Amino acid sequence: MRTTTPPAPTTQATQATQATNSRALHRRRAATVGFHAGAGLLSVLWLIPIALVLVTAVRSFDDIAANGLGALPHSFTLDGFSQAWTDGGQQRALVNSLLVTVPTVLLSLLLASMAAFALSRYDLPGRRTLLLVMLGGNLLPPQILLIPVSKMAELFALHDTLWALIGVQVGFGIGFFVFVLHGFMRAIPAEVQQAAVIDGAGPAQIYWRIVLPLSRPALAALGALSFTWIFNDLLWAITVLRTETRMPITASLLGLQGQYVSQWNVIAAGSVIAAAPTVLVFLRFQRHFVAGLNLGAVK
Amino acid sequence: MAVLEEAPPVPASRPPRTRRRRGAATRVHPVVVTFVLLPLLIEGFWVFWPALQGFYLSVTDWDGISAAQFVGLDNFREMFGDQVFRDAAVNTALWLLLFGGLSALLGLGAALLLQQERRGVGFYRAALFLPVVFSLVATALVWQAMYQPDGLINNVLEGVGLDGLTRSWLADRDTALYAVLVPALWRQVGYVMVLYLAGLKGIDPMLHEAAKVDGATPWQRFRHVTLPQLRSVNAVVLSVIVIDSLRSFDVVWALTQGGPYHSSELLSTYMYSTAFESLRLGYGSALSVVIFVLAFGVIASYLVRAFREAD
Amino acid sequence: MATSLPSRRRFLTGAGAAGLSAMLSGCVTSVRSGGGTAGGAVTLQSNLSSPQAKSALQTVVDAFNSRGGSRVSLNTIASETFRTQLPTYLTSANPPDLYTWYPGSVADAYAKRDLLLDLDDLWKGPDLSRYSAALKRLCSTRSGTKVFVPTTYYWWAFFYRKSQFEKWGVSPPETWDEFLDLCDKLKGKKVEPIGMGAGGNTAWISSSWFDYLNIRINGPQYHRDLLAGRHRFDDPEVRRVFDRWDEARPFLDSKSTALPFQDATTELLQGRTGMMLIGTFFADAVPKGGLDDIDFFRFPAIDPEVPMAEEAPTDGYFASARSRRTRQTKELLGYLATAEAQELYLKGSSGTALPTHPDAKDSGTALVKKGRALIEGADEVTQFFNRDSSDELAPTADTALIRYLAEPEKIGSILTTWQRDAEKIWGK
Repeated sequence: MRTTTPPAPTTQATQATQATNSRALHRRRAATVGFHAGAGLLSVLWLIPIALVLVTAVRSFDDIAANGLGALPHSFTLDGFSQAWTDGGQQRALVNSLLVTVPTVLLSLLLASMAAFALSRYDLPGRRTLLLVMLGGNLLPPQILLIPVSKMAELFALHDTLWALIGVQVGFGIGFFVFVLHGFMRAIPAEVQQAAVIDGAGPAQIYWRIVLPLSRPALAALGALSFTWIFNDLLWAITVLRTETRMPITASLLGLQGQYVSQWNVIAAGSVIAAAPTVLVFLRFQRHFVAGLNLGAVK
Repeated sequence: MAVLEEAPPVPASRPPRTRRRRGAATRVHPVVVTFVLLPLLIEGFWVFWPALQGFYLSVTDWDGISAAQFVGLDNFREMFGDQVFRDAAVNTALWLLLFGGLSALLGLGAALLLQQERRGVGFYRAALFLPVVFSLVATALVWQAMYQPDGLINNVLEGVGLDGLTRSWLADRDTALYAVLVPALWRQVGYVMVLYLAGLKGIDPMLHEAAKVDGATPWQRFRHVTLPQLRSVNAVVLSVIVIDSLRSFDVVWALTQGGPYHSSELLSTYMYSTAFESLRLGYGSALSVVIFVLAFGVIASYLVRAFREAD
Repeated sequence: MATSLPSRRRFLTGAGAAGLSAMLSGCVTSVRSGGGTAGGAVTLQSNLSSPQAKSALQTVVDAFNSRGGSRVSLNTIASETFRTQLPTYLTSANPPDLYTWYPGSVADAYAKRDLLLDLDDLWKGPDLSRYSAALKRLCSTRSGTKVFVPTTYYWWAFFYRKSQFEKWGVSPPETWDEFLDLCDKLKGKKVEPIGMGAGGNTAWISSSWFDYLNIRINGPQYHRDLLAGRHRFDDPEVRRVFDRWDEARPFLDSKSTALPFQDATTELLQGRTGMMLIGTFFADAVPKGGLDDIDFFRFPAIDPEVPMAEEAPTDGYFASARSRRTRQTKELLGYLATAEAQELYLKGSSGTALPTHPDAKDSGTALVKKGRALIEGADEVTQFFNRDSSDELAPTADTALIRYLAEPEKIGSILTTWQRDAEKIWGK
């Protein structure tokens, strides 16, 4: 691991011109090789489990039973995928997941940005306490809420509907979203808002026309991030849903594991299917993702 | 937290200091109030209200079916004599320490290694980050495959002649907790790395230049320039780690369910099995209250300090 | 903290707290009474999640729906999730109507809380009235109400591959000593003699060893009394169970507590283990055609004085007392109790279970014939640890037994802990 801080890009050019003697050049080349060796090894280590799952997913059950899970593959088949996709019900589960995730992300962002806007741009009494309380809700161990939430969903005839799942996910996630967006919105210069106030804009206009557009990077980032979180949820799904056909992909994957216990090829294929959407979102919105994780950290 | 310290808010109508103490609410625009209240109500409905009920359950004896009996603090008293609770508490502390410490260290290390924009660095970052987007169920399944008695880990150990080290990682009480820790870290390090990467990017390069001119060694620059500049990121990392430590429930549950015989039991898994397997919902709720107090204690003490610094 | 407050304020706080808790308790812990009638399909909540069993039940459901009467929709939940959610289902305001589960003391525990539908009238029907007296008893609560409709049962035994036993030149044992000899021989042939499958999510498999040893050593009546809390787990009688287990322990597969039973089945089929104490449901994890080579022998006798009881768990259905479609649910239950429905199910599944209807034909294989003979010849029948006790007591057994398998020398303290944990459950 290198603890040296390499020069910033802006100074690289000047450095390069200075590096006329070959010893410095040599050292830099060695450092580059060292860097790639280190980082490459780390990456390979990190990717091994993923590679294992991909390989297992295309093996046949007989191959795994005879040669063991950790052996080199002796077969290639997509049976695992077709079993997980149709018999295992992952196709329908994937649709359910999207039906829950997309509205939840949008609603969460809308509500959280409203609260964050009010709390960060106005001197509401007790706003710090409010912020703390909202964040506190996010810190509750979810287990304490499971039974009451399932009972409440019933009380309001929402149980076993995707609405209940959306509701509880929005409610439970909102604290953190507000906290993060609050941090971002606070950093927007006060002058921008003051100018709008002078122009006679009300809070709603300021929110919609000024602060929200300015927060777009934060919203995009948080959106990409929360997509994976909500998509990956399991606990809430099995708490408020009880019909197989409404279960999202995570619960379906757990069911698949219960169903095909020793058939590692099907389980591995199911895992690949369940992970694919978030991986795609990640690869497509990588930049936002990374930004999203940082919202709280940097101004 | 840094973000909370900066940029004073715009007063709603008048300068804030003069009216902070009394009757402020009357002058706040109703839209602003609505903006706060609506999300708050939703969170209240789905989180705080159920949580209150959860707290109430913690002072009852309830099997989920018959009427709940009010038992006062009996559940909390029972914990003192409960060996499993004590083990779980110790394991949870260990978990926080190892999971938190290692993910912070490894995350920072990876960030330092990969901070410079250069050829291939995007790939390395993506590789480390990829597991973050996996669900805990998928993660658990992936690692279950790794840990199988005839799985990759044992095969590799045999392959390099370390047969003596092969074991049933998840079924062995000496290794179960650590075997579960590895997948949790696998998922967490990339996350922490990204936080630190941004933090490092936020450091003014001039500071390093200046230190270099002063003849500081790389270690000295790390110690006296980088680390202090990362203070605000550390705060975020801390909160993220504490929150995620609590959420680690899924991966432990999916891999060992706290077993074998409680050797990988965390407070969260113990709470779950007490409530849902033994159907002792009262005692289970009392355990979740303890978890809440612990988690909130850590975060709140930090936040309070951050707020105080801001004032 | 309250002591320093003025009395009036304290009173108010107290009153407020009482009011609040009343309100809260009213909200979470109350159970709204459903009942009444509603249209729509009967929901059948099933934990039969293995691919074969699931599709077999779907066939039965389709057959029922095609009769043109009431309709039913099958809802399969992973068995692990199902187990933890069952109380939630049963206590909900608008519960699923019908559930796969077990008769005996498990069902009785739910019936005692008024959660199960009274099926007395259904049992007067043409099919159920002809069921055996033993089944009638098993499906009744302690107060005599029928709450369960049994459809199939199966047996536990040591299963092995005939071809492998031939290859190794060994034959099934009758007594405990012969059994240990057999293990010894297999060990000499570098085979793990006994597979178990108590790892992963199926730690409960270990209870079968406890059940059988206890039944063979202390007898079935003692076993049932112990599970009901009338004996103690730290009694010397229970200790004797583990003395015997100690004799067999060296022959257990080293992966006994690492693999779930499905993987242990694969090990057996691959010839890596010699035999396995398991229920016939393991056949769901056997590839097609693999069953022809499978045979079994009963758990060997230990004490000739003790009657030979066998574990033969019965499966079937109970309905929620809050069902809003009681008429339709009973119609479905009536159908499930027919010979036709049971034969249909057995045809679609691995076919290793036995139907409860006196006229229903089983799959007719040699294996099943032998299994039926085993149970019909048994002096007594027990269900299984969790079914003879409760869903709550079962986890305490898993913990104690898995721990014993890893640290047998600590059996004394393990049994003390087990007793203490069990008392918490019995005390409720």
